[in-house]
Amino acid sequence: MLLISWCCPVLANQFGVKVRHVKLVDNDQGYRVDAEIDYQLSPLAREALEKGVPLSWNVRVEIRRPGLLWTPVIYKQKLRYTLQYHALLKQYEVKAPDNHLEMFLTLNAALNFMSIPKQNELIDKQLIAPEQRYQLAIRSQFHRESLPAPLRPFAYLNQQWFLSSPWFIWPIQK
Amino acid sequence: MAHSKIRIPFRVSILLLFGFVLLSLQLMSSATQESSELGEIYSWLLVINTIGSVILLGLVIINAYSLVRELRKKEAGSRLTTRMISLFVLLALAPAAIVFYFSVQFLHQGIDSWFNVEIDRAMDDALELSQSSLAQRMNWHIKQTRQMSAKLQNLPEASIPLELGNLSTESEAIEIAVFSSQGHILASSSSNPSDILPHLPDEQIWLQLRQNKAYFAYEAVENDEMVARIIEPIPDTQNLFLQVLYPLPMRISDLSDSIEFAFIRFQEMTFLRDSLKTSFSLILLLVLLLSLLAAIWVAFVSIRNIVAPVKDLVKGTQAVAEGDYQQQLPVTNQDDLGFLVESFNQMTRRIARSRDETRIAGLEVENQRAYLETILANLTAGVISFDANFYIRTANQAAYRILHIPVSHFVGQTLLNLAVKHHELAEILVAIQRLLEQADDIWEQRIVFLGPNGRQELLCRGTPLFSQMGERIGAIVVFDDVTDLIQAQKNAAWGEVARRLAHEIKNPLTPIQLSAERLQHKLAKELPEASAEFLHRGTKTIVQQVEAMKRMVDDFSEYARPSKKQVERINLQDLIQEVLALYMHSNVLFHCQFSEGNTVVEVDPVSIRQVLHNLIKNALEATSAGKCQIEIKTSHVNRNNTEYVELGIYDNGSGLHADQIETIFEPYVTSKSKGTGLGLAIVKKIIEEHGGVIWVDTSYNAGAGFVIQLPALN
Repeated sequence: MLLISWCCPVLANQFGVKVRHVKLVDNDQGYRVDAEIDYQLSPLAREALEKGVPLSWNVRVEIRRPGLLWTPVIYKQKLRYTLQYHALLKQYEVKAPDNHLEMFLTLNAALNFMSIPKQNELIDKQLIAPEQRYQLAIRSQFHRESLPAPLRPFAYLNQQWFLSSPWFIWPIQK
Repeated sequence: MAHSKIRIPFRVSILLLFGFVLLSLQLMSSATQESSELGEIYSWLLVINTIGSVILLGLVIINAYSLVRELRKKEAGSRLTTRMISLFVLLALAPAAIVFYFSVQFLHQGIDSWFNVEIDRAMDDALELSQSSLAQRMNWHIKQTRQMSAKLQNLPEASIPLELGNLSTESEAIEIAVFSSQGHILASSSSNPSDILPHLPDEQIWLQLRQNKAYFAYEAVENDEMVARIIEPIPDTQNLFLQVLYPLPMRISDLSDSIEFAFIRFQEMTFLRDSLKTSFSLILLLVLLLSLLAAIWVAFVSIRNIVAPVKDLVKGTQAVAEGDYQQQLPVTNQDDLGFLVESFNQMTRRIARSRDETRIAGLEVENQRAYLETILANLTAGVISFDANFYIRTANQAAYRILHIPVSHFVGQTLLNLAVKHHELAEILVAIQRLLEQADDIWEQRIVFLGPNGRQELLCRGTPLFSQMGERIGAIVVFDDVTDLIQAQKNAAWGEVARRLAHEIKNPLTPIQLSAERLQHKLAKELPEASAEFLHRGTKTIVQQVEAMKRMVDDFSEYARPSKKQVERINLQDLIQEVLALYMHSNVLFHCQFSEGNTVVEVDPVSIRQVLHNLIKNALEATSAGKCQIEIKTSHVNRNNTEYVELGIYDNGSGLHADQIETIFEPYVTSKSKGTGLGLAIVKKIIEEHGGVIWVDTSYNAGAGFVIQLPALN
């Protein structure tokens, strides 16, 4: 598998996780992060899923205040999504951050559900001062440690398990 | 300020290391269990154990490299350490590798045995059975729902809630609801009175509902209870939907969950089959590596500790072999090696003590030997010692001075070897060798030989040396140059003769001369002319002979009388020139070769002039008239660390016979018909009175050659 992933960059490019867009939406009570994340599973990950291996991602949301020397994080939130296949019902189950279970007949439907992260709480407006510049950063990090133990060492070595997105940073428009 | 170090004992540190290794491996083993809470740190444990293995491998490599360097330098104990470690590694590695190989084989076979076609088929069948059962139940519920939907057809909206109550009572449904396509609830009925609001479809269901106009699926509601949700449109209404939730019987639900869990588990295991094998093999390998590397490293440290006393012993032995007996090795353990080290220390102490005693004794012997050598070296007599085979063992400085041969250079050789290289002394050396070989007791003999300085007379005494057992172990020869002593005795004898001659002969000569003159005076006038003439001849002869005898006695007196020298510094070459100037008008041809060196001597010029006159006169008398050629040479020489001016006078006369050479300088020895025979005797006397020597140059064959050496004045 490693050999396939290393020898076939085309295949490697067909899967992965990308943040399409992100923005901060101003509600009356606070700010809400509106983002879209594109999940494309590798053949190996798809096979593991269909064999009953649950896959988990941590969607990390941060608001940063860029500085000259360092960039402090003034707000951060972690949203855990877990995707699992139920062979009996032939449905895909997504466990949302609020522990709510959603069942889907197709994998695409499940991934579409996951593509729009749902925050449990709004961001306090007091955190963001009007005169400061801020950045909104988001990434979806594949949680290898939730894989079965025998699979973990290979998940760190096999590119088909490289299912995390890089940090997507967007300036906050006020 | 003294620093105190807290040092963990070696054994404790080894126990800690192995405890850490075991704990780490146990944690990793537990982490592979799915139910274990350690599962979350499985990766970290793997990394920690890998790092531990790498560290141990590094330690082993460093130790091995250090050992190889010691081997190349051939350091003490390195070969023993290598041998022990090689043996240990071999003994540890072989069974560990065998166990590892069979464990991996067993593991792979064990994992493979979990899976086979029958179980796979059975799992698929069980799942399919469950799915069929649920599908059949779903179809039944769909049919029921459609019948309910038909009953609600054409009913006024106000009658729908009542009808829903009836339907709920008639059916097994736990919830029945009617809502519009916009999601407005028209009526609902639930078997659970606490549920006020029905379970409305979410966005996903609405999406499917709009696409398919109907929806049916099993899903989990509160308390993970499985229900069948069926949504059917109500015919002849404006976008009204009937939603019915049917419960799944507990037994069926449990069985379905059980089958699904088993199936998923089996599928997951099938998927992880290779990963499991690799993962367990990796853990086994880590266990093997950690254990083996830890054991090898501990072996390195332990064996070095064991070999350390042996290494010290080897170094100590080398030091003792090189003569360093001060080595005292530390005794670290009270075991057999400690006993060995203590014994080594005792041995070196004893050797050092013995060495010191031997050194002191040797020094004493050396002092004695040096003392004897000093005595021998300062003896005026020559001393040569021989071993049992008459090879020269030692010779003192006086032997060189007397014989003019560096005898000490011939140690280990016989006198015959010496004679071969020094022909001039062959006779005396062979004679002494014969005496040594033949004599069984002390012997004494005078030996006369012609040395480089003329005739020499030695008084030799030989003593054979015997051991306490009576065996002959060598001999010693002591000889003294008695030439001067003999000469002094002869001079004294001649002096006595001269004194007696003066007293017994010269005294009567004057009355004899006076009487002869009186006879001439008284009788000359009285006797006839013939007789008077006879008388005159007789008295004249008497007077002449008396005069001659007086001169002879005077010469003797002068020879015997101690000289009264008036010494002064002169250049010998100037003196020679002055003397030769007197012979300028004679028929003698002089060839002079004067060296450029220092020829200043402190002598009585009158005496030395006499010496030159005597020698030139002898040369003139030894050659026929008009053919006399005399060669005179001067040079500066060093003999026995003393500077001399050497004067050689060579003529072309008849020369000297071999039998004359030994006695030529004695009084009354002459080859001439006229002469007293005192000329050369007086010459020798004058030269010796000036501290010089004179001898006949026997190597000169064209006539007579005399060599004179006078002490040079710096």
